[in-house]
Order: sequence, then C-alpha cells, then structure tokens
Amino acid sequence: MAGGSAISGLVGASVHRKEDRTILTGTGRYIDDVQERGMLHCHFLRSTVAHGRIVSIDASAAREVEGVVRVFTGADMSAITEDLSFAQPIPGLHSPSYPAIAHDVVRFVGEPVAMVVAESRYIAEDAAGLIEIDIDPLEPVMSTTAGLADGAPEIFGDVVPGNVVHTDEQLFGDIEAAFSQADHIVEQSLDQHRWACNPMETRGGVATYETGSGQLTYEASTQTTHTLRFLLAGWIRQPIHQFRVTANNIGGGFGLKFSAYREDVAVCAAAKAIGGSVKWVEDRNEHLVAAGAAREEQLTLTAAVKADGTLLGLRVTMKLDAGAYPINPPSTVYAGLVRTTLPGPYKLPAYHFQHHIVATNKASYISLRGPWAVETLVRERLMDKIAETCGISPVEVRNRNLITLDDQPTKMITNVTLENVTAAETFQKLVEMVDLDEIKREQEDARREGRLLGFGVGTFIEPAPGTQEFWAAVGFPFGSEPCRIRIEIDGKVTAFTPQTPHGQSHETTLSQLIADELGVGFDDIRIVYGDTDATPFSMLGTGGSRAATMASGAVVYGSRELRKRVLEIASHILEASVEDLQIADGVVSVKGAPGASVPMAQIAMGCWLAPEQMPPGTNTEMEFVANYDGEGGGFSQASHACWIEVDQDTGKIAIKRFLVVEDCGKMINPAVVEGQVIGGIAMGVGGMLLEHSAYSDDGQYLTATFMDYLMPSAPELPEIEIEHLEFESDKVVGSRGVGEGGTVLAPAALLNAIDDALAQVGRPRVTETPITPTRMLELLGVIEKE
Amino acid sequence: MSTREITVTVNGRKRTVHVEVRRTLADFLREDLGLTATHLGCEHGVCGACTVVVDGQTERSCTQLAVQADGREITTVEGLAAADGTLHPVQQALRDNHSFQCGFCTPGFVMSIYGMCEEKKAGRPVPCSREEIREELSGNICRCTGYQSIVDGAEAALAGADGGDS
Repeated sequence: MAGGSAISGLVGASVHRKEDRTILTGTGRYIDDVQERGMLHCHFLRSTVAHGRIVSIDASAAREVEGVVRVFTGADMSAITEDLSFAQPIPGLHSPSYPAIAHDVVRFVGEPVAMVVAESRYIAEDAAGLIEIDIDPLEPVMSTTAGLADGAPEIFGDVVPGNVVHTDEQLFGDIEAAFSQADHIVEQSLDQHRWACNPMETRGGVATYETGSGQLTYEASTQTTHTLRFLLAGWIRQPIHQFRVTANNIGGGFGLKFSAYREDVAVCAAAKAIGGSVKWVEDRNEHLVAAGAAREEQLTLTAAVKADGTLLGLRVTMKLDAGAYPINPPSTVYAGLVRTTLPGPYKLPAYHFQHHIVATNKASYISLRGPWAVETLVRERLMDKIAETCGISPVEVRNRNLITLDDQPTKMITNVTLENVTAAETFQKLVEMVDLDEIKREQEDARREGRLLGFGVGTFIEPAPGTQEFWAAVGFPFGSEPCRIRIEIDGKVTAFTPQTPHGQSHETTLSQLIADELGVGFDDIRIVYGDTDATPFSMLGTGGSRAATMASGAVVYGSRELRKRVLEIASHILEASVEDLQIADGVVSVKGAPGASVPMAQIAMGCWLAPEQMPPGTNTEMEFVANYDGEGGGFSQASHACWIEVDQDTGKIAIKRFLVVEDCGKMINPAVVEGQVIGGIAMGVGGMLLEHSAYSDDGQYLTATFMDYLMPSAPELPEIEIEHLEFESDKVVGSRGVGEGGTVLAPAALLNAIDDALAQVGRPRVTETPITPTRMLELLGVIEKE
Repeated sequence: MSTREITVTVNGRKRTVHVEVRRTLADFLREDLGLTATHLGCEHGVCGACTVVVDGQTERSCTQLAVQADGREITTVEGLAAADGTLHPVQQALRDNHSFQCGFCTPGFVMSIYGMCEEKKAGRPVPCSREEIREELSGNICRCTGYQSIVDGAEAALAGADGGDS
C-alpha cells in the first residue's frame, strides 16, 4: 500500500519505502558521490608480503609527480597520529596497537605501507607505483594450527605470546556427570572458511579540515558515526568537540562498517596536515584484499546423549583465526557470542566451552551479519548427527530437546533467561508445512533415476536485540537507545536517531511508528541520521538487528511523551479531558465531536513562538529525547528447511526449495522483514557454496576480484517461501530483529541437506567449507581430495 | 596527459568536451558531468552497478573509455524519471515491489531492467519466466536483497512494458 496520506494503522503494513525515490533515481549521496571544494584524492600502497620487516622505503619519485600533493610513509603518518588501539580491560586479552601506516613490520598482504594524496585518483595510483619499498620477508603464520604450533613465529612478538590473542574456558553444570550417564558420545567438527561482507559500496570517507576554525568533518561510509568519532578523535589528535562525523547513503555494511579502520585515521590525519579535503574510496580489489573477512573458525563438539536422543552435556572447543590486527569489537566478543548462544533453544544440562583466538598473517577478522553464526551451524549439524546415532529422525531429535513456550521462563545453561521464545513453535509449524514421507519417497524415486536429492532443517534463536543477561554473558554492553523527536513549528515531525541505516529501511519503519503514535502523516515525518552534531549518542549505530526493538522503542516512547504534551495543551484549548481527545491527520479533536478540534500545527506554533501564552501548567517543550531500555529485550527465532539436488557429474548443488517459518514478533513492515530474511539467506547460501577469501600457504591473497571471489547472483538463489508467526508478547514494543537470522540459520539447513544427500550414497559428512563443486565431487568420492 | 575532444549525448543533452584519453566512461559521467547515479561496485566489469545504456544497448561504463563513447548516445538513471519527479514505469515497478535495500547496486539494475523493457517495446524477445529473468539479471550483483524482490519488480516492469510508444 502507498504511504501517502495520514491514516493510522501503518504499522503492520508493507508501506512504500521512503528511501526508494532517492535510490531509484540515483540522487543519493554515497561516499564516492561527495565532492568538496578543492578535494584531493588518496590511494594506499599496500604490502605484497604477508609477513616481513620494512628495510627501506623511498617515495622521492612519487613526490615529484605533477599533481601529487603529499606522500605519507609510515613514519610520516606516525608523526601526526597515535597508534590504533582497541585494547579493553578484558582479562587475558592481548590486543596489539598498530600504526595507521606500517613503518616497521608488515603482517598481511594488503597492509598499507604508504599513502599518496593527489589531485586525482589516477595520479595518486600512478605515483604509488613509483614508491620503492624493500621488505625483508619473515615466515608467515597462515592458520590457527600453524600459529599455535611449538616454535611458531610470534607475529606480534611478546605482545601476543604464542600468537594467542585470548583463550578461556567456561564450565556450566556438571559436565562429568553428564558424560558418565551418556548412552552415546557424538562428535562433530567443522572447519569453516573465511568469507567476507562485501557490501556493494566499499569502505571510504571524505575528511575536510577547516584551518580557520580547526573543525574537522569526516563523512564516512559507516554503521556507527558516534563510535567512529570517539575512536578516531584520539588517534588523530583532534579535540572531539571540533570533530563531526556524518554519513549519508551507505551502500551496505553487514558488520564490516562497525569498526574504525587505519585508513580512516590516515585520511583524517592527511586532511588535517594538508589543511583541506581528502577523499578515500577503496576499490574492490583493495576491499577484498585488505578490508578484512570473517567466519574462519574451527569447532569440535562432543555431546553426551541418552539413547532416545536427549542431550545431557556438550563439550565445545573453538579456534578462531583472528587475522593480524584487532578491530572493534574485541575478538573476545565473538567468542563470547558463540559460547553464550550455542545451546540455542535446546535443553542442555551441562556445557563446557573453550576457545583460542589466534593471530595470523591475514587481514582482520571482522563482524559479518550474525558474527556468532557458527554456533547455529555446528549445533544444528550436531542435532542431525545425534538423530542418526540414535536412529531417530532430525525432526524427532529436535522435538525431544527443544524448549517450548510451556517450558518458559527458563534459563539457558549459559545463564540467559528465555521467555516468549518460540523457536520450537516455528519448528513445529515448519514440520506441519512439509510432508516428510513425501520427501523420503521423492528421494528414493530420484535415486532410482540416478539423481541425488537432499533435505535439511534447522532452528535457532537470534539475540535481536538479546537481553541484559545475554550481553552480560557475552561481555558487551546492551545499552539503551535514544531518539530525539521534535514537533516542528508547522506540526510536522523530525526524529533524530543514532541509527545509521544502510538498507534496513529505518526511515520508513520509524516513520510508520511515529505516524501511528502521534497521528501525523507518514510524509510529514523526517528521520535524521548520520550526523554526530544532530543525533543523540549511541555506541552502537546500526548493527546486531537492534533497531527493530531498540530504535522502535525510542520513537514510540518519544512520540507518546510528545503526544501527552500536545493533548494536555489541547484539553485546555478544547475544554475537554485528555481521555476524550484523539489525533488524526495532524489534528486534535474531541472524540465524537469532530467540529471541536485544533490542528497540531497551531499548538506547535504556540509552543515554539509564545510558550508563555500557552495554558498554564502545561509542558510546551515540543522536543523530547527518549531513552528506551528495551523492556528486558528478547529474541527472534526461525526454522528453515532446504531441499537440494546434487549434480553428481559436476558437483553443483542446486537449491530446489527453501522454506522459512520465522517469528520476529510484531512486524512493522512485512516487506522490510521479508527483504531482510531473504537477503540474509542469500548471503548464507553464498557463503557456504561460492564465496571464499582464500590465501596461499605463503600468505598471498588469492581471490582479489569478483571473478575469483564468487558472489551469489540471481540464478544461484532459490525462491524463498516465508511463513510468519508474529507471537504477541506483553511488551510495549513487541518487534524483534531479523537482519542476521537468514545468514545465521540458512548455512545449517543447507549443510544438513548436503549431509543428507551424502548419506544416501554412503558418503561421510561435510567437515570443511565452502562446498564448491570441486569439494562436492571430493565428498562424493568422484575425485581425490587435493 | 593526452586529451581528446569528444561529442556525446547524455540523457538527451549533447555535449562536446575534452577528456583525458585514459578516463573511463564511468569516471567521465560521474566526475566530469556530475552524474553520480552510475555507481562503481567493482571497476572490473562484474558487478554491473555501472550499467548504462549506450546507443540502445546496456553496457558497463567502468570497462570502457570515455573516448570510445564519442558520437554515441548514453542514457543513465538520471535520464529516466520525468522532470517533475514522476518515476519511470520501471522505477515505479521496482518501488512497488520493495525491490531494493541499500540502493548502491540499484542504478545498474534499473538500467538493466529498463534495457529489457526497451527490447520488449521494440518487439524483440525478452525473458518471460522468473527463471529467465534471473538469468538475464545475472550480470548485476546485489548483496542486500537475495534478488527475489528485484525479480518481482522486473517481472512487473516487463508486464507493463508494451510495444508501441516508449
């Protein structure tokens, strides 16, 4: 439906997006669209050596090139900046600080070793090619195994002893008892490969320094303006009150743009040093090589189970390949997320989790859409293996272990209270929607024809936004969410959110909520984001699927406070009690007496221009900052089913059908929810079947173009069917996030389907990803493993 | 730097300009003409964000030089909507179907789908089934949507693109 006129009841409707006119006409302002007066362009020269000591660097020829304004070597940059440090007081965390531009040791292929600032990008790249750099190679560490080996080179020396960034183990319940009572011990391991966020817009920013005032503005492609500002301010020695960070259109983030990066530091510092405006936009090659990648973890799960498939206890070990340099958040957060979430919506009496986070000579390990996702992947595959071991179906094993609504409130073994969690109900609905006997028959028929089909399921919970307890267990702040809302002098509404939306449609969804709460027109509302001068502070920006609950709550509570003020004033003007008033289409009227009315514009104008003339004792402030605490927070949940066909000659896996039953509570805009779910699944499927941030043994990056790093395109993806449950909680804001769930759960359902296909031809389960056609042929035994 | 004079018609406006011979068409459109709707997602001809229509054909603007466009007629996303802001039917169909999220790949998809609709209007064969539309759109990468909503929008746009008046 169109979102034009002011009618109540927009929440729950697939209202047209506010964002679309801009993006469809190409009138947005993405970072490379920014043109500042006298703007210069920069290019980073990057290391081609994975690990080595810089012996010498000579930029004299580059400096001579006409159009080159400045060349910064590592030493030049370190003279005007502080090293980046993401260290936090976390026991046992070894978080090395590092310079914006390397001047001593390089630790991954792609690490910046010089920066050229010139009149054009073309000239900057030309000049960078003239810089002579001599790097003495050192032995690179290219895996967690290599990093942990005795005598391995310590890539940060004694700052990260043994290359162990962090290690910890936590025990919940009586694990020894669990294993002593077990009828079966079931083991499952997975070595997940590195893959990347790859937003279609790469990283970038434009820094502008005004020499007169000393003010620095950094317009960035970021998910979090406020955090970027306070992190950068110290490193670039800029007083924070003289520093503004802005963001306009952002071409995707997926977690990558949550951190501040060394290039951000260099660009801001260069603008200050030169006294002008400097643009940095990395190209795709740089992005693939240097921006960082995610998901490289190896896990082994050992489960104690009863003969009927009931889980008794679980031991988990995880090794996480952190790459070389830490970013934000600290890698302990990833380990904490995996540990805390892994038991999922299942009853688990005892649990032991141990992790090693290992530094290697690769680009940084970064957040990627549900950074904890491997927990669901390994758990859901374990459930299938338990089913096989106990001779029951994948459906039965889940039914026997899932926590249902009737079991709640209850605590996860990781001390997180579950309440209103409907993972079991989504799974039940999913099972009702598929005919398992029919699937079996189809598979058998296919086998007779020489074809190979597979079917897999999975279920999970998503901490979107999670709860206070959950984030305390992880070791990350939950935080409240502010929003400043203003009824303007003409009765229209402006809301300032610290969210930094980059595709999540917050301009639309937050406007829907305000329209319904305040009784103003959808088109009479503007959402302002991406400006530290204007929006209230939040550390988190847009990420972690928080906005559906947290930003929504902030605008709901803020709207209600302003509504209360407006109605109190109107009750004096209309001589009616507040309870008898209503607001529709920006007009306050007495219920049942539409003639008795006053436009909100009239009230607002009075409040702004002549507050002293407004009814005594009323609050005439037409601006309010609400802080929403999340009402305890909560989880969303879903179950997926995946049907595949394997081409046994080529190894190609085709997804024939994909079914989702999801419950994110009250949907604000179903089209937006479905967009997030489907987009998330596409990313999960791409990650499992196509994408790989691959390195050679000597540390060269192997997939530096989109011809090597394969992004899923339209033909590789199935039509995705979605069923919504919309469990109604008693919370004021009953909406939960769905941004990450598709990417978290789809790999599990897909790999279970692949394992199902392999089992039918007597082949072992997947233990390593990605499942490229070559790997599938290896798994099928058609070709030898390399 | 070596430059050359070229004459191009961009969104109906004819211009004669000097360009550096090594300047890509995409950079020429974005930097020299200020037409920043054409986006650069990979700069090596895979992602399709920079797709424009050149003499009636959809082409990548990142892997050709501005001088190659001499004497040709180019349409970019800026050339589709009416002056009063009314969306082109292709844009409207995509809007109605919630086709996009972050919007970065969007101009490339809009031009690819516009190109398909123009083919249909000219009476040439175009994809009919959703599967065929997916194949046809395989030269454009979107990271946000999983394509389903884009296929919805393309299907609607094609259904609305009749032969005859353009």
